[in-house]
Amino acid sequence: MRVVVCIKQIIDPEIPPSDFRIDPERKEAAQGTASLVISIFDENALESALQMRERGGNQGEIIALSVGPPSAIDVLRKALSLRADQAVLVTSEGQLDAFATARLLAAAIRQLGPVDLILCGREAGDWHGGQVGSFLAEEFGWPCLNFVSRIDLDGERFTMRRQSDEGWEVIQCQRPAVATVTNDETNVPRIPKVKDNMMAFRKQIPTWSLKDLGLDMNSVLGPNAKLELKDIYVPVSNKSCEMIEAETGPEKAAQLVDKLVQLRVL
Amino acid sequence: MQKVQAIVIASGTIGRSEYEAIGAAKRLADRLGGESMIVIVGPNARGMAHDAKSSGVGKIFIAEHPLLAEYSADIYLAATEQAFRAAQSDVLIFPGHTVGLELAPRLAYRINSAIVTDCTNLQALQGGAVQITKPVYGGKAETLLIAKEPPVAICLRSRSFDPYEPVAASNTEMIPVELALAPSLQRTRVVERIVEESGESKLDDARIIVSGGRGIGGPENFRLLEELAQLLNGATGASRAACDAGWVPTSWQIGQTGKKVAPELYIAVGISGASQHMVGISGAKKIVAINKDAKAPIFKAADIGIVDEYQKVIPALIERLKKRQATL
Repeated sequence: MRVVVCIKQIIDPEIPPSDFRIDPERKEAAQGTASLVISIFDENALESALQMRERGGNQGEIIALSVGPPSAIDVLRKALSLRADQAVLVTSEGQLDAFATARLLAAAIRQLGPVDLILCGREAGDWHGGQVGSFLAEEFGWPCLNFVSRIDLDGERFTMRRQSDEGWEVIQCQRPAVATVTNDETNVPRIPKVKDNMMAFRKQIPTWSLKDLGLDMNSVLGPNAKLELKDIYVPVSNKSCEMIEAETGPEKAAQLVDKLVQLRVL
Repeated sequence: MQKVQAIVIASGTIGRSEYEAIGAAKRLADRLGGESMIVIVGPNARGMAHDAKSSGVGKIFIAEHPLLAEYSADIYLAATEQAFRAAQSDVLIFPGHTVGLELAPRLAYRINSAIVTDCTNLQALQGGAVQITKPVYGGKAETLLIAKEPPVAICLRSRSFDPYEPVAASNTEMIPVELALAPSLQRTRVVERIVEESGESKLDDARIIVSGGRGIGGPENFRLLEELAQLLNGATGASRAACDAGWVPTSWQIGQTGKKVAPELYIAVGISGASQHMVGISGAKKIVAINKDAKAPIFKAADIGIVDEYQKVIPALIERLKKRQATL
C-alpha cells in the first residue's frame, strides 16, 4: 500500500491579526516574524495516513511530497520525523495557480511508481482554494472523496469517513483514489519524537525542478492564471467593543441582559 | 461575459444555499446586462424547476435522470457537465455547501474553467468582466480577482449573498437536458449516513447561538452552554479547538471550514477569536464575548465584552434569564 501525502508550507496562520501584514509588492502576506509551518489540513492528512498504516499492521509506505520554494524542505523533514518513509520536493519559482500545482504534483507522483492513495488537506491554510486535491483526481482519472477524516483499506476498496453538512458518512471507494482531508477529533496531528527528528535530519530529500520533470511553466499553468489579482488588502474594521464593568458575576449578567433587552435582541 | 448560471444540485430538498446562488446569479446577470440561467440536476429537477420560475431567470435547464435518485459525486458531476455544455454559460455559480465545494473544482477541470472558491462578493465591471472578492489568510485579508475570459466557476461562501427575491410573473424558458449516464460511472458508495443535530434549532437558522471554545475546558461544561442556548431557544456551536478535542461533534464547528452563521445574537464563551473562527460569524448581528483573557482578539471583534471566567458569568446569566422569563 503506497500513499502519497501532498503537503504545503505556509506562513503560520495562528499569528495574531495585529501582527499580520500584506507585502503590497509581492501581493501576498509578509512573513515578518512568523514561522513557516505545514498547512494545517495537510497535517491532518499526514496524521490520517499514519493512523491508517498503524491500523493496517504497519505495512505500507508513506511518501510526503511538496511543491514549493527551497524552504519547503523543512516541512518535508517534519513529515519524515513523523515517520513518513520518503519525502520529495518539487521546486518552483513564483506564484503557481492550483492547476499548475496539481500538474507538478502529478508529474512527480508518476515518477514514484505505483501509488494507491493520494491525500492532501481539504484546502490550504493560506489561500483556501480547495482545488488541488480534486484536480489531482481528475489528472489521474481516479475517484475523489472530499472532507475525509479517516481512511482504511478493506481488501481492494477504501472505506472512508467523510463529513457532510449534517454530520458524516461512511463511504466505500475503489482504489486507487484521491482524498482531501479535514480535521476532527480523531486526526489531531501528533508531535514527532526527538529521536525521529534526528533520524529525519540524516535522510536525503530529492529535489526536482520543472525541467527535471520535463515541464515548463507554460505547459503547467491553467485557466486560473488568467484571473487578475487586482488587489489584496487587510479590511479595516471600525468595531468597538462595549466592555461590561461590574464586580460580581450576577451583576455582569444583569447588565448584559439589560443591554440585550435595550438592543431588542432579547 | 454575459451568461450567468446558478448550479442547483437537487438530490434532496434545496435550501438557503441554493436560493443564495440563484439570487447571486440573477443579480450578476442583470448588472452585466446578460442572461441569467439555472441548471437543476436531480431526480425531481422538473418539479423544482417549476418552483424556481419565481426567481425570474431567463432559462432553466432541467437535468433529470433515474440515476440521480441518490447523490453520488461521479454521477452528478457527469450530469452537471452535460448540462453545462447545453447551457454554455460564461459564469457558473455554485452554492457554498459541501456538494458545491466538491463538484465545482472537478467540473472546472473538465471544462477548462477558471475557479474561485469562498467568494463573498461579486461585481459586474465595465466591459463585461466580473470582480470576485475572496478572503484569504484565514480571513485576515481580502483579495479582488478579475475574471475577463469565460468560463469562470465561482463557489459562494454560505450566507454572504441574499437569496433571490421572488417575482410575480416571468417568461422563464424551461429546457430539458438529455443526459447520458451509466451506473459504471459511479466509483463510490455511501454505506452509512449519520445526522448530528445541534440544539433545538439548527445552527443554520438559529436566531441565537451560544458557542464555546478551548476555554470551556471539557465536554461536561458544554452542558452549561446548552442550557443557556435552550433558555434562549437557540443553538449551540463551537470553535475548531473544542471539536478537535472531541468535546462536541464536529458538525458544531463554526468557522472558515465549519458552518457560516448569521444569528441575531452570537455569544462566544471561552473563544479567543482567531480569525478563522470569526470568518464563520461575519454575518452575526451582535456578538457578545465572555473570556477570562482581556487580551483575547475576540474583544476587538465583539460588540459587548465581559472579561471573567465563564463559570462565574454563565450560571448567573441563566439565573437572570429564568427570573426574567418567569415575570414576562
